[in-house]
Amino acid sequence: MANPVQKLADVITMPARTAGSQATSAATGTVAHLRSWTTNQVDDWGRDDAFASRAWSLSHLRWATSVGGAEHVPKRAGALIVVNARRFALAPLFAALAIGAAVDRPVRFVGRPDIAPLGPLMQRLGALLPIEAEIEGALRAGQLVVLGAAHTRTNLHTGPIDHCLVGAAVAARVRVLPAATVSVPMRRGARVEIGHPVRLSQRRRGPLEELDTADQLQVRINAVLDELEGTMTGTPIDWLPNILVGRV
Amino acid sequence: MRVLISGMGGELGSRVASLLENESWVGSIEGIDADPPRRRLRRTVFHRIVPGQHHRTVKVITDFNPHVVVHIAVWEPHARAATATARSLTDDAATSILGAAAECRALESIIVRSGIEIYGRARGSVTRPSEQVAVNPTSEYGRMVEQIERTADSISRRVGVSVGTLRLATVLGPHVPSALGRVLRLPAVPFSALADPPFAVIHQHDAAEAFVLAARARLNEPLNIVAPGAITTLQAIRRGRRMPVPLIGPEWGVARAVTYLAGAPVPDHVQEMLHRGRLADNSRAKELIGFAPSRTTSDVIEQLYGWPSVVHTPAVREVA
Repeated sequence: MANPVQKLADVITMPARTAGSQATSAATGTVAHLRSWTTNQVDDWGRDDAFASRAWSLSHLRWATSVGGAEHVPKRAGALIVVNARRFALAPLFAALAIGAAVDRPVRFVGRPDIAPLGPLMQRLGALLPIEAEIEGALRAGQLVVLGAAHTRTNLHTGPIDHCLVGAAVAARVRVLPAATVSVPMRRGARVEIGHPVRLSQRRRGPLEELDTADQLQVRINAVLDELEGTMTGTPIDWLPNILVGRV
Repeated sequence: MRVLISGMGGELGSRVASLLENESWVGSIEGIDADPPRRRLRRTVFHRIVPGQHHRTVKVITDFNPHVVVHIAVWEPHARAATATARSLTDDAATSILGAAAECRALESIIVRSGIEIYGRARGSVTRPSEQVAVNPTSEYGRMVEQIERTADSISRRVGVSVGTLRLATVLGPHVPSALGRVLRLPAVPFSALADPPFAVIHQHDAAEAFVLAARARLNEPLNIVAPGAITTLQAIRRGRRMPVPLIGPEWGVARAVTYLAGAPVPDHVQEMLHRGRLADNSRAKELIGFAPSRTTSDVIEQLYGWPSVVHTPAVREVA
């Protein structure tokens, strides 16, 4: 028969023991996570699929992103998807993660700085340097690449699109798709709407093709933004209740 | 067809010679190196010539009068020789062997070993350069292979023969001396804690096969030879069950000194790889010469840690 004093001591120290065992299991879990994180694999461009999946799961805490028009994205071939970008919204990153989850393919995005530690961290998420040769290489290899337009303060319209970077898609002869991204600072909902591929009415033989494609993209993204009622200004005005119920 | 192989004494050169012996289009094979071949070759003639013996090199090559020259005599810094020695040996070999080959009337094609270090890893450089990207070496080894390519190109222009350049990723294999391989096999391996960028390598057998395919196809342009996939230093360390030593910056000097004393010096191109990564686009190799690596980068790294230090081969017949 157990000593009653010892049984009493067990009862008294139980919370401490529980806390200790919980701390031990938490530490063990953290170590296991770290081990699994450091043994992940990276692909030819340095994208870590498991890391990107975790980032996507983590982003659900803030955003509930829906994707429309995913059927326009090619199943296997490469394509350049150009999105509008509201300031501080990290639109290319979230668009790449959202489209990747929708089409079940790794999607890269343009806009990695070449400075540690941010650059390598973003490379794990699939970021590419904003260099034409780098984007062209990825597109030629059949990758999906998201390119952000110049930042704007609102979701009303898109900023200018760098025609030199669009030229990478022209050189690689892949589809170029416009996509509108809309998010509201005070709500969880965010939307990525992918449009039909851009086709120029007049074929150009020289660099005008890139310029025309970039202009056409801007027009098409603005059209989609209009359809999405892109009335967000990015200012405190957006916080007014009548605007808060805006559709995204 | 007569094929001359420079650098035949190394593991890569021996393997290339062995594979070429099985090629139907190859008639006679001769090889040059400072060390004898590392495997048994049945119909290859070997000449032991130390780099720098220009007259002897020229005589052997012009007497043989090859149709195809496979130039593998490139010394990677701190693989078999210190950086200064490696540079001197590589320059001597390139000048005398390629120069002598240019004097041969029968010469049709030169296949040269180069490295993806030639692209350099300057800030803002392309992460995964293709062959069209301009070269901008930022390490001593990169500048060495750039010099070899320049010598080969000048011969191509003056003599009018085809010159194919194989830009190899770091070659790893069970008996290949490699600065990267030695560092990764240390019990405690330093890595860049802030960057830990990805890099790619190539297995020695795949590299040798690429040389044979390039010689057969009379390759006439540069080509990246890289295993598919990539791996970061930390991931490699974890696979090898080594102790990771995270470094941020200034302490790299101390780490290099310690690894030097431990027998695994870190030359500048390896340090650059650990800091900035090293990848290359390998898509054209399949298209141009039909080359498809049999091992991924992860496989090669797995095997790096699987290779025993000493292989005990039992005697075929007991004699005592």
